Amino acid sequence: MTATYLKICKQRFDPEAEHKAFREVINGAGAIVAFTGLVRGEGEDLTLTLSHYPDFTESQILEIAKTAETRWPITGWRILHRVGTMQAEEPIVFVATASRHRRDAFEAADFLMDYLKSEAAFWKSESVAGKTRWIEPRAQDITDKKRWAD
Amino acid sequence: MIEILFFGRLGDASEALRVELPDGVVDTDGLTIWLSAKNSFLAAELQKSGNRIAVNKTIIAQNKSLKRGDEIAYMSPLSGG
Repeated sequence: MTATYLKICKQRFDPEAEHKAFREVINGAGAIVAFTGLVRGEGEDLTLTLSHYPDFTESQILEIAKTAETRWPITGWRILHRVGTMQAEEPIVFVATASRHRRDAFEAADFLMDYLKSEAAFWKSESVAGKTRWIEPRAQDITDKKRWAD
Repeated sequence: MIEILFFGRLGDASEALRVELPDGVVDTDGLTIWLSAKNSFLAAELQKSGNRIAVNKTIIAQNKSLKRGDEIAYMSPLSGG
């Protein structure tokens, strides 16, 4: 039985607490890989606002995670993604995977992140000194995702 | 009634709409043309590449027929993480 958990968070979350909660449910795993994405910058006058498409976003991520479950023998995954407005250094995404051996957890987490960056239904805008612009996937994000094509 | 949602850049161009299926509009291509005629700011955004359309929360790859009660979402390129 794979331990699964997905949450779209309107409020700030604590990656350490999520890691601990994940560790408690992945009986028998020999490896956990956890990735935390942060809003880049250091005390800058910058805010990031993320929106999503309720239900659609969640069901899409569940599909992506199911694909990961079929490709790697993972015993669990945990995904949290922020929406709303956040500032530099705040956690924006948390992805953890667990498996009996490390390689599967590394690859599954990498795969999940590449898909979240370019395929999950989130929209991100950045405001700096009162100027707002939409952020769209970089060419690198698209290339990263293509690494996983069969 | 149909419900039309706009996300990302497209959300700057239009509020969500709840309207009767317009006369003569039978599919998503027709709806896109109808929306473009109503709102020139939206028309410009809809022409940009990388947008996606979902009908009842399923992404469509080609023109799809519409009926009363459908939820159509116009989405600009996605950017998570």
